[in-house]
Amino acid sequence: MMRSRFDEQLALLNREIIEMGALCEEVISLASSALSEGDMKLAAQIEPLDRIIDQKERDIETLCIRLLLQQQPVARDLRQISAALKMITDMERIGDQADDIADIIMSLNGRTVEEHSHINEMATATMKMVTDSVDAYVKRDIALAQAVIDYDDVVDECFICVKKNLIKMIAANPDDGEYALALLMIAKYFERIGDHATNIAEWVVYAVTGIHKEITP
Amino acid sequence: MRKKIFHSILATSLAALLISLIAATGALYQHFVKIQEQQLHRELMLAARAVEQSGLVYLENLDTGDLRITWINADGTVRFDTEAVAAEMENHADREEVQKALEYGEGSSHRHSATLTEKTIYHAVKLKDGTVLRVSVGHATVIALIAGIIPVFVLAAVIVAALARLIAKHMTGKIIAPLDHVDLERPLENEAYEELAPFLMRIHRLHEQSENQLAQLRQKADEFNHITGNMKESLVLLDEKGVILSINPAAIALFSTSQNAVGMDFLSVDRSHEISSAIHTAKSQGHAVARVARNGRIYQFDISRIESGNEIIGLVILAFDISEQEYAERTRREFSANVSHELKTPLTSIIASAELIKNNLVKPEDMPRFVGHIHQEASRLLSLIEDIIRLSQLDEGQDIPRETVDLGALATEVVDQLRDTADKNNVRINVSADECLLQGVPRLLHEIVYNLVGNAIKYNVDGGKVDVSVTKTQTGGVLKVSDTGIGIPFEHQHRVFERFYRVDKSHSKLSGGTGLGLSIVKHAAAYSGAGIALQSAPGKGTTITVTFYSRP
Repeated sequence: MMRSRFDEQLALLNREIIEMGALCEEVISLASSALSEGDMKLAAQIEPLDRIIDQKERDIETLCIRLLLQQQPVARDLRQISAALKMITDMERIGDQADDIADIIMSLNGRTVEEHSHINEMATATMKMVTDSVDAYVKRDIALAQAVIDYDDVVDECFICVKKNLIKMIAANPDDGEYALALLMIAKYFERIGDHATNIAEWVVYAVTGIHKEITP
Repeated sequence: MRKKIFHSILATSLAALLISLIAATGALYQHFVKIQEQQLHRELMLAARAVEQSGLVYLENLDTGDLRITWINADGTVRFDTEAVAAEMENHADREEVQKALEYGEGSSHRHSATLTEKTIYHAVKLKDGTVLRVSVGHATVIALIAGIIPVFVLAAVIVAALARLIAKHMTGKIIAPLDHVDLERPLENEAYEELAPFLMRIHRLHEQSENQLAQLRQKADEFNHITGNMKESLVLLDEKGVILSINPAAIALFSTSQNAVGMDFLSVDRSHEISSAIHTAKSQGHAVARVARNGRIYQFDISRIESGNEIIGLVILAFDISEQEYAERTRREFSANVSHELKTPLTSIIASAELIKNNLVKPEDMPRFVGHIHQEASRLLSLIEDIIRLSQLDEGQDIPRETVDLGALATEVVDQLRDTADKNNVRINVSADECLLQGVPRLLHEIVYNLVGNAIKYNVDGGKVDVSVTKTQTGGVLKVSDTGIGIPFEHQHRVFERFYRVDKSHSKLSGGTGLGLSIVKHAAAYSGAGIALQSAPGKGTTITVTFYSRP
């Protein structure tokens, strides 16, 4: 009786996390499209979604704490819940950073990003990381989670590449420096989102295997 | 069961044992008491005779055993007693048996000892001298007798219990054995004692009943799976928590999942925000619709709540491919926009010219040019409307009677009709036509050839060439129209058969076409069951091949 109620609550937690992950995918895909198409309307859709993500974080946190206090889970269940608590923090950060990107896009006044700046590639790569990390959670797929962790290097390389391009851009056209810096900020946010996706993937590995890269020697 | 059998055997045996013991004891006791009393009476008579003759001497020399003899005077004082000193004994006049003997000559009575376990029987007789002679003997009472029997009874009970246990074990074994080995699949084929028959019969009936129900259920499930399995639409059933209860093959393909999805949370199959928010809406409002692009096509998701009483028991998700409708809708919108534009252009031009004439702004010498312009635009309008009517006839799919047509002769005839136009455009036109008999609608075949050859001339270059050929094949015939014209760029090739579609939007006025020619060709060919192939390279020319089948 107790156990079945506990299982039910764990299933609810699982559902909530998937929904929150899906919202993160949605905001980052919106941010990416808004950036490549210079579409302010898409960018404006991000903020309300970010608020839903924040609400979800609080809901899931409450649920986790209630589970910990009332059920006092051990072993695998405990890992599941503590991983969830860590994951939602990263997801919430992804939402915030997507919102920050949206703000910068709005300040660009519909100006589209130059092809050669590689920033769109970076957006696509980050989007893939977020989608894959949520997928890894849904399927409890350790191999996929590991792939996400490894893929972070690609995004980091991208960031260096974008940075070099922007430096060239400023050198060639110093009057457009503000724009270049805005793009640098966006790239940095994407790079941070990639790091959060990596964290999520690491917590997926922990929830399944009980081994976390940073807490296990 | 064994316990019950053991208990009943034990209880029955013990009861039988007890009853028989009590009955036997009772009967024997009665018998012995009677015999004893008779004996006592005889002994008393004998003693009385002897005392009457010999007096006290007889009594003093008598060995009485357990018999006690007392000689009592008529006043109640004891003259002699075999067991006690007579002088010390109390007066016996008030004793029942003595009183009776004094009164009636003979009397008897019995008294119990203090513990009730012994009973003393007294017999007294009045002698001839008025004294009373009394004999008494003690014997065990029924209670004493029963008390004596108890150990025997307990021993017997223990033996009975052991026996009962043994028998119970044996019997239970015998009763249970067939039950243990009953073949529940085929209850009637069992060999068991007859008392089991009704039980087996009932099992048999239940068995049949459940088998029938199972078959019915299986049939229903098969029907359901068969129907949903062959559905083009995707169908997913969820329970109230969002766990998948059933998912049909179309849905498995749509969500790129597997049959294992049954029992999983729907969110782990698809977590897109559009669908999950539609699910939330359906849960709260009963119904929701979402249009979502999936795998390059557009799907409409209809989500409905299933209720039983006031409780939500699940959700149905039905998804169907609406890409065609979306495309058709778009084409229709474009068509109506195009048609109104195409109809309006010549009319505006006519009205403008007519207004100038009406307001006397046209010089008499310019009049023929203006009227000619109005005539030209009106004719264009008319041919446009005729084209639209033809197209809508083809759209309606009216059944037009077919007859035998010679495609070769038809092509030659069309080329002859268009030779003037070709000459005007400085285009050479060659025709090589075999006799090729087909079943078809002459007017539609004419449309096809006329429009294709017309286009080949219209979109040609100065000094260009058009080749028209009709070849007879085993299955029908092939019409091939090639030109050395401007060609169609690759990206436009798949759209040129659309209504009003033009590669070069600015060219329409110049060429005088309606933008419907190829669309008419496409529909006419489809109606005739013919296939169209287009090959084109910009700047080099276009070849359109129409393959006819003699039995469309």
